[in-house]
Amino acid sequence: MKYWKDEAEAVKAFVSLWEACGKDQELIDGMKKVNQLIWFDYTESGPNCSFNVDSRDGKFIVAGGKPAGEPNLIMSLTADNAHLSWANKLNPVMAITRGQIKVKGSATGLLKLAPKLKKVALIYEQVLKDLGMEDKLKM
Amino acid sequence: MKGNTGKVVNIDMTNGSVRIETLPEEYYKQYIGGSGLAAKIFWERGRFDIDPLAPEAMLIFMNGPFAGLKVSGASRNSVAGCSPLTGHWGDSSSGGYFAPELRYAGYDGLIITGKASKPSYLLIKDDAIQILDACEYWGKGTEEVTTALKIKYGKDHRTLTIGPAAENLVKYTIILNDGHHATGRAGFGAIMGSKNLKAIVIKASKKDMAYADKEHFETYRKELNSRIVEALPASVLHEDGTAANLGGGVASGDVPVKNWQSNFWEESSDALAGSTLSELYLTKRTACAFCGIACKRVVEVKEGPFAIPEGPGPEYETMVAFGTLIGSIDLAATCKAGRVCNELGMDTISAGGTIAWAMEAFEKGDLTLADTDGIALKWGDLETVINVILPKIAKREGKLGQLLADGSVAAAKKIGKGLEYTVHSKGLEAPMHDPRGGGHGLALTYAMSPRGACHVADPMLFIEMGARYYPEIGFDYITGNDPQSDENKPEATVVAVTFGALENCACWCQFADVLTIPDWLNLFNDVAGYDWNTEKMLMAGRRVFYLKRLINYRYGLTAKDDSLTPRMLEPARDGAPEGIVMNFEGMKSRFYGLMGFDPIKAIPTKEKLLEYGMAEEAKKVW
Repeated sequence: MKYWKDEAEAVKAFVSLWEACGKDQELIDGMKKVNQLIWFDYTESGPNCSFNVDSRDGKFIVAGGKPAGEPNLIMSLTADNAHLSWANKLNPVMAITRGQIKVKGSATGLLKLAPKLKKVALIYEQVLKDLGMEDKLKM
Repeated sequence: MKGNTGKVVNIDMTNGSVRIETLPEEYYKQYIGGSGLAAKIFWERGRFDIDPLAPEAMLIFMNGPFAGLKVSGASRNSVAGCSPLTGHWGDSSSGGYFAPELRYAGYDGLIITGKASKPSYLLIKDDAIQILDACEYWGKGTEEVTTALKIKYGKDHRTLTIGPAAENLVKYTIILNDGHHATGRAGFGAIMGSKNLKAIVIKASKKDMAYADKEHFETYRKELNSRIVEALPASVLHEDGTAANLGGGVASGDVPVKNWQSNFWEESSDALAGSTLSELYLTKRTACAFCGIACKRVVEVKEGPFAIPEGPGPEYETMVAFGTLIGSIDLAATCKAGRVCNELGMDTISAGGTIAWAMEAFEKGDLTLADTDGIALKWGDLETVINVILPKIAKREGKLGQLLADGSVAAAKKIGKGLEYTVHSKGLEAPMHDPRGGGHGLALTYAMSPRGACHVADPMLFIEMGARYYPEIGFDYITGNDPQSDENKPEATVVAVTFGALENCACWCQFADVLTIPDWLNLFNDVAGYDWNTEKMLMAGRRVFYLKRLINYRYGLTAKDDSLTPRMLEPARDGAPEGIVMNFEGMKSRFYGLMGFDPIKAIPTKEKLLEYGMAEEAKKVW
C-alpha cells in the first residue's frame, strides 16, 4: 500500500471519517435516504481491511469489518484508491468504468449521496489531521 | 451482404410507386449505416433548394448494421433529412421495435418522397408494400391510432405514427413507435404530415439475418450482453430510469431552471428524481427490443389535476423540460405533459424549450396578452401549459399557437425580440443539460453537432463524467479534468464526434455503450463483415461527421453558425458553476485546427477530404 502502513491504519481512518460524518446532520439525512447496508470492501489490501455503514430504517451505524447481514451494496476497491476517493482525488465514475471500483448491488441510493462527496472530502481532511495523518494528503 | 441487407425501399407517395434498390457495398463501409448512410444518400440525391416540407423533400428511415441482433441497445434506427425546424441537416433516432422488424422484412431503410393525395399509411409485409387509406385515422392522437392499427393487424405488427401536431406541420413533431418510443428531435413528424403519411405498419414473416462470422459472434454476444447489463449505468437505469442521476446533475449545475436563468433548484433533486418517480407513479419497467437494461418507464398518476391512466412515463428530458425549465417541480405534471406531447406528437425538448422562452418573454414584457390570445404565461403554471398551450400549439390555434408552433427561434424572430435568451444551436432547442455546469466540452459539442444542440450526437456527456475512455488510441481520462473548464476539451471533442458517429451510424444506444475499440471491431467485422482495423473504423466515423458538415455547408451554414446563444454563454448566476466564464471561442478555434477545418467555411479543407477518400464530395464544396 502506498498511503497506509497497514490495514488497521486504513480502517481506523475510514471508520473515524464516517463517525465524523455521523455528526453532520445533512450527511446523516442524506445517508438515511440511501437506506442501505453498505460494505466498503478493501480486503484486496488485507483480510481485515473493510468497514460498513448501516443507514437502514433510520439508523446510522458505522463499524469495522464485513457486516453480519447481507449488504445491499458492496463497493470493492483498494485501500489506496479508497483514500484517493474520500480525498476527492479519484473520480468515482472514472474509477468504476475502469474497474478500479467494483460495485455489486443497487447503486441507485448511492447516487443520492454522490453530490455530497465534496463535503465528505472536507471532513476527511480534518479527520486525517486529527489523527495525525495529514501527511497522507500531501503524498 | 452480411449484417445489412443491402436493400432500401424507395416510396413515392405522389404516384404510389414502390422500388426496391440495392445500395453499393462501398456506401456501407464508408458511411457505416444509420444516420451516416442516410447522409450519404441525402448528399447524392437530396434537394438543397426546396422547403423541407415540400413534396419533393426526402424522408429517410435507416437501420444500422446491428438492427435485429439479440443484443442490448442494438436495435435503434435513424430518421434523417432536412429538418423542418432548422432548415438544414437533421437526424434523430429511436429505440423500440421498428428497426428489427424492418431488418427481418429484408430492408435497411425506407426513402420516402412525394405527397399522397389523401391521408395514407404504409403497410409493409416482407416484399408486399402497400399505400392504404388513412382518412379514418387523420386528426387522431398517436395512442388511439396505434391501438386501432394493432387491433386491425395484430399486436406483433410494429407501428410508426404521427399525431395531430405533425398533420398541422408543427415543426418539432415526433414519430412514435408502438406508442412509446419517439424519434423526437428535428421535427421529422412534420415531414410525414406534409406527405399525408399518418403511419407505417410493418411485419416480417421471419426473424433471421446473415452474419459474417456467426459462430464467433454468438460466443461473443453472450459475454457482451452480460457486460452491458452488469455495468453500473444499466443497474441504475433499470432501477430508476433516465432521471436516476438527476440529483447529481442539480449539484453540478447541469439541470437548467427557468429558461436557463438559473443552474440550481435544490428541491428538484428529490422532487423530480427517478427514484421519486419509481416510488410514486411507476407501475412497470419496459425495454426496447432485446434489451436487458429496461430503462423505459410505465406510470400511472391516480388522482389530482394531473391524473393519467397507466401508460408511457417521462424520460429525464421530459421531466426537466416540463419541470425546472418552466419553473415547476411537480412530478405528476411532468408525467401528464409528457403523455399529452406524445398523444399530440410533439418533441418534449423543443416544446418545453419554446414554452420556457415564451414564459420569459412574457415576464419581460416582450410578449403581451395581445400576442397570447389573452393567456398569461406564468412560470410553473402547468395546468395552463397542459390544458391550453400544448393543444393550441398542436392545432396552430390563435396567435399563440401560430407563434410557438415553429419553435423558439422563429418565434423570437417573428416578434423581433428575445433572440438573446433563446437556448439553441443551429435552431435546435438545447436538451436539458446545461454545459456551464455539466461540462464545457458539452458546449463545444452542442455547437459542432451538425443537427444543432444535441447531447446524444456524441458521448461528451459521458466523457466529461469520466465514463468513457479508449486507451487503444491513447485517449484516457481527460487529464486535469474539470467539467467546468476548457482544458483538453477540443481534443476530447475530436474523439467524441468520431465515436458519436459510430454510435449513431450503428444505431447503438448510449446507455448500452460499454464498448471498447476491440468490441466495436468485433461487431462490425463479425456481423457486417466490414473487415476493419481501428484506423479504418475511426476514419469511417470521422468521414460521417465530415459529410454532415458538408451537407450543412451546402445549406449555407458556415463558422458563424457553430455557435451558442448569449444566454448559454453568460456566466451562471448560481449553483456550482456560478460566475465561471467559458472559453468557447478558444475551444472552437482549437477544435477547427484539430479537425482540419477551414476557419470560415467550417468544413474540412480539400486536402483533408482527399485524405478521407472524399474527392467527389470535395468537388462540390472546393
